[in-house]
Amino acid sequence: MSQPAAIVFDQASIAYGRVPALEQVHGTVRKGEIVALVGPNGAGKSTLIKALLGLVPVASGSITVLGRSPAQARRQIAYVPQADTLDPDFPVSVTQVVLMGRYRRIGWLRPPGRADRDAAAEALAAVGLAHRAADRFGTLSGGQRQRVLLARAIAAQPEALLLDEPFNGVDAVSQEALLATIRNLAAGGAAVVVSTHDLGLAQLTCDGICLLNRHQFGFGPPGDVLTPDLLRAAYGGAALELGDRGLIVARS
Amino acid sequence: MIDFLVTPFDRPYMTRALVEALLLGALCGAVGVYVLLRRLAFLTDAITHTVFPGVVVGFLVSGRSGIVPGALVCAVAAAALFTAIAATRRVNEDATLAVLLTAFFAVGVILVSRQRSYTADLTAFLFGHVLTIDTADIVVTAVVTVLAGLVLLGLGKELLLRAFDPEWARAAGYRITALDLVSNMLIALVVVASVQAVGTVLVIAMLVVPAAAARLLSERLGVIVALAVLVGMVGAWLGLATSYEASVGHDVRLAAGATIVLVLVAFYALVTLGQAARRLVRR
Repeated sequence: MSQPAAIVFDQASIAYGRVPALEQVHGTVRKGEIVALVGPNGAGKSTLIKALLGLVPVASGSITVLGRSPAQARRQIAYVPQADTLDPDFPVSVTQVVLMGRYRRIGWLRPPGRADRDAAAEALAAVGLAHRAADRFGTLSGGQRQRVLLARAIAAQPEALLLDEPFNGVDAVSQEALLATIRNLAAGGAAVVVSTHDLGLAQLTCDGICLLNRHQFGFGPPGDVLTPDLLRAAYGGAALELGDRGLIVARS
Repeated sequence: MIDFLVTPFDRPYMTRALVEALLLGALCGAVGVYVLLRRLAFLTDAITHTVFPGVVVGFLVSGRSGIVPGALVCAVAAAALFTAIAATRRVNEDATLAVLLTAFFAVGVILVSRQRSYTADLTAFLFGHVLTIDTADIVVTAVVTVLAGLVLLGLGKELLLRAFDPEWARAAGYRITALDLVSNMLIALVVVASVQAVGTVLVIAMLVVPAAAARLLSERLGVIVALAVLVGMVGAWLGLATSYEASVGHDVRLAAGATIVLVLVAFYALVTLGQAARRLVRR
């Protein structure tokens, strides 16, 4: 009954030069699954996403994406960066941004064709922003920009989707739209990995949790990983004890 | 008005100057938009300064016909070097560029200062001599313009992606260093093409000012490119006509290259003022 594996971490450790950033990540993301990367700031969530994109090398162990190395699987992976890393003054329209998701399919030296424009329009409609197609990217709200970047990833028709803190500073409407779209993609068979600070959201919406802080504290169903013991271990001083009623993560 | 805009260009040397200036206006306008988007004004400035000793050596070796080959060698080397520096991502890029540009420039100045006709030639290298342009110079500029057109059309979408979201481009498997090498080489070629007409110092204005003015006037990339080309060409025409009118009609000698730049800057100032006024009215 379980879907085939899309992403396999086998005792993977990632280092920048000789400095280890993240150690001993071990687990599987299946097709159609949404897995959240959670952990405090500096835990290595972004590092793990970069490793999945083949942008930082795996120092020991291995990461396999769709049966290949991350660098070889690039055309099947789409990445959604944080919208606020992009220049809001850049003169590029929403449609132009979404079309970027098609560039690898279009290939060198050729302009986007009819099919690419249709795919971009469809992706934009999927995130509920068809009416903003002609507007400049920077004129949209932070949440809307995040949705445009998700549309760009969808336009690439990926088999694996990686999102870096997509819910940071996003309004409720956009968060709902992002979640609905991500669920649809997973229902369509895509493997989704999303890093987030929001433990509640991760628990409610994800099939699996990978709890990190420099190394892995747990990888599995939310009920198994989001336990007081593991959270206390991963968050350390950022965890606030509530007597015998449990624990909350006060800051991350 | 027609007299002012057309009559000066009856003379063959003015016709050649106009053709060269219009080509450069279009070339610099289009490439300038990419310089603006990538914030490469400083890198462009560094290339213009590193080209300077090449220009001087070329001139010393084989006179005027040596200038373009000399500039070309230096520009290509500088573009490759700067791409490599950016790719290492370890050194402080700004400081390295600053050291290189001043070092190369100083070498050029020393070479020039050893010549007898020091001042006259230095001025020509730095500020160009659009009025004594010959057909061979125009051919060089035309070839670079066609090449730039082909690169911007052929690699437009990849260069756009690289400028807008380099990390995503890298994640999608694009080689950023290769793309940067292409665009740096293109900028280097534009500098080489401009050396004879406007000199190494004023090229930067031809690249940056029309694009910056166009960006103020539009939010759409296609429109910005078209406007930058138009502004570059009209500025070149008006600048040449103004310089001629002042020199011949009123006996006030205005250097042609610098006048073109001042016309462009005046246009930029007008657009800025216009926008400020519009914001005030809206309030």
